Amino acid sequence: MVVRNRSALSATLTNSPYIQSLKPPMHRLGGVGIGAFERHEQSKRSFAELSNALSQAQVDHLHSQLNQFRTALTHFASTHRDTIKNDPAFRRAFQQMCLSIGVDPLAGPRKGGWWAELLGLGDWQYELGVQIVDVCISTRERNGGIIELKELVRLVSKLRGVDAGVVTEDDVVRSIKTLQPLGAGYQVVELNGTKMVRSVVKELDRDQAVVLGLAHEAGGRIVVDILVVRLGWTRERSQAALDNMLLRDGLCWIDEQDEESGVSYWIPSGMQWDE
Amino acid sequence: MSVAAHTTPSGYLLPSIHSAPPFFTKQINPTTRSIADDHWARIILGYARHRRLFTLRVEDAETSGNDWDEIFRNERINRRLLPDHLASLISSMVTNNLAVYEPPKQTRSVLLYWRRPEEWADVLHSWVASTGQMNTIMTFYEITDPPVESPLSSLPIVILRKAIDVLSKSGRAQIIAIADGEGVRFFPGGSKI
Repeated sequence: MVVRNRSALSATLTNSPYIQSLKPPMHRLGGVGIGAFERHEQSKRSFAELSNALSQAQVDHLHSQLNQFRTALTHFASTHRDTIKNDPAFRRAFQQMCLSIGVDPLAGPRKGGWWAELLGLGDWQYELGVQIVDVCISTRERNGGIIELKELVRLVSKLRGVDAGVVTEDDVVRSIKTLQPLGAGYQVVELNGTKMVRSVVKELDRDQAVVLGLAHEAGGRIVVDILVVRLGWTRERSQAALDNMLLRDGLCWIDEQDEESGVSYWIPSGMQWDE
Repeated sequence: MSVAAHTTPSGYLLPSIHSAPPFFTKQINPTTRSIADDHWARIILGYARHRRLFTLRVEDAETSGNDWDEIFRNERINRRLLPDHLASLISSMVTNNLAVYEPPKQTRSVLLYWRRPEEWADVLHSWVASTGQMNTIMTFYEITDPPVESPLSSLPIVILRKAIDVLSKSGRAQIIAIADGEGVRFFPGGSKI
């Protein structure tokens, strides 16, 4: 049962019953002598070759599967391209599908990702990103760089001249993520359940975050008393939080003609601006 | 709250910020304040042009019933511009060359430059040309109170003088002493400044 020819060994090995019967004879023939050493080396090489052949077959199989997937995807993309771009519900479903199979439609080895290229979705998303920047910057002077997500969606839709619902909050959040490499500090933050988009690199301290949240509930207006009653803060702490926002960060405007409290503070991002 | 643009009874469109309650308070934060000042200057000059108003006084914010009620008061949100706030707006407009103290050496009253003297000079020159009055001697009164209403009707003499000065420098006008004071003669001279 000694096989001297290498190709004959491979042939023998593919007929699996022989695989089991190969090792024992090697041992039985003993580990002594130069002949035994050669036999040992030879079979080692043969095993390596076999394993290479096997993994090559697997890789080929995977490649063909991937190609199939890619073809299907290309087909899907070209068939549904317009729907994906125009129908928010379909786009959301598509993006969720991508998420569940672990594919980011915007990521990829090529610029914008090959999938994004197929779909033209990358351009759409970047375009939206530019419009988001536009809205954030043009409203920054009055809201101090913080805008409610809903308001942002509304203004972006207006800028695009499309009806409400064509651009969704989901799309905007996704676009903001694509802006991250720019390092401009665009970020979605959640305050008391309200999603806000921050376009300035400015850390909100904890008190400010809470104040912003409360102001948003009240349509932008906030007074010391509300903070004392609702949050149980001391007057000093409430005043300090508001003063910081007003004087240091310019996040709010002061109103000295408030009918109830005499002085109130207004967070512009909590107000809805119709222009 | 929702703030929206509003058209006044006289037909002037106020921007939405005019409906924001804190807009009527002098802001403390310097950045915010300069933003608010810019908006106010734009509103004041826009309204002045709309109603052809030339003079603005701090008193205009003290009492109601004057030309400026529509923009210095917002009854819908129960806010009004306070006199010391207006005084500071006026001084920032003077600093930015959007108005000039008149009479000089006080800070309670200004002439508004909703057109710069250079722009008035162009308006003046083309009006003289279009009415065929080149080379004739005219009194200031004939310019600011012409029989047919013109873009220069009721223009304050102070601004008229500045406009004529601009034209004189480019050889398009000349002040001439006449029997009862001063007159002015215009020349075609197409050269613009």
